[in-house]
Amino acid sequence: MGTRHHRRKKQVIEAELSMTPMIDIVFQLLIYFILTFEPTDVMAHLDVFRPAPDSEPREQMETPNVLRVVIYQDGFTVNDRQMRLPEIERTLGRLAAIDQNQTVLIMATAHSRHANLIDILDLCAKVGLRNLSVVSMN
Amino acid sequence: MTPMIDIVFQMIIFFVLTVQMERDQLDERIRLAMSPHGPAVEQRDPRTVTIDVDDDGRIAIGRFPLSEQRLFTVMRAAVVQHGQTTPVVIRGDMDTAHHHIKRAMDICTRAGLFRIKFAAIKEAN
Repeated sequence: MGTRHHRRKKQVIEAELSMTPMIDIVFQLLIYFILTFEPTDVMAHLDVFRPAPDSEPREQMETPNVLRVVIYQDGFTVNDRQMRLPEIERTLGRLAAIDQNQTVLIMATAHSRHANLIDILDLCAKVGLRNLSVVSMN
Repeated sequence: MTPMIDIVFQMIIFFVLTVQMERDQLDERIRLAMSPHGPAVEQRDPRTVTIDVDDDGRIAIGRFPLSEQRLFTVMRAAVVQHGQTTPVVIRGDMDTAHHHIKRAMDICTRAGLFRIKFAAIKEAN
């Protein structure tokens, strides 16, 4: 009877797991990950429509009801009037207040910076305009 | 408990490595323009094709440089496989001249993709 008791006690001791080394390793890993962590930027995807290159851009240019934003190397024009970004934002905002599905024709010249196109697309996203066509000009 | 800890560690290593690999796909030489009001990317369509255009106009997919002809073949294959609703994202450097972006867009439209997305940074961290 006495020996049996003794054996059972021994088995319980063997099943124990020592936590200290594991905690050491887990802390090491934690420190490693905290030190190597770099937060990623939140990305935005600006959705546009791109007409086929062989479709007639002239036809779209002469449609009177479409707002035309032209991006040059050194500035912007909206329906042939030179404007700066805050002014363009107001114009787009007025258009969006009437109809958010109204098409905006964005025309970029060959040497304009891509950042300027993104600026215009950002303004359109801000006021809620959804139908944006991007056309390239020479 | 030991086998469970083994498995949990294996899983941690797996996830850390796959996140790292996904991040390595993005070319960090491309500096994206800021768009604080643009719609944030919430869930990615697994069919998405991301085209990188750097400030010298070089076109690449997943850090692999492609000629215009190769890009067209890739886009055509994407359309045949996944249809015309395949999302295309163009990651253009902010200083890239528009005619370089135009080349990439024209290849997409020739392949039959007319909806294009431009990548931008919503919030920089």
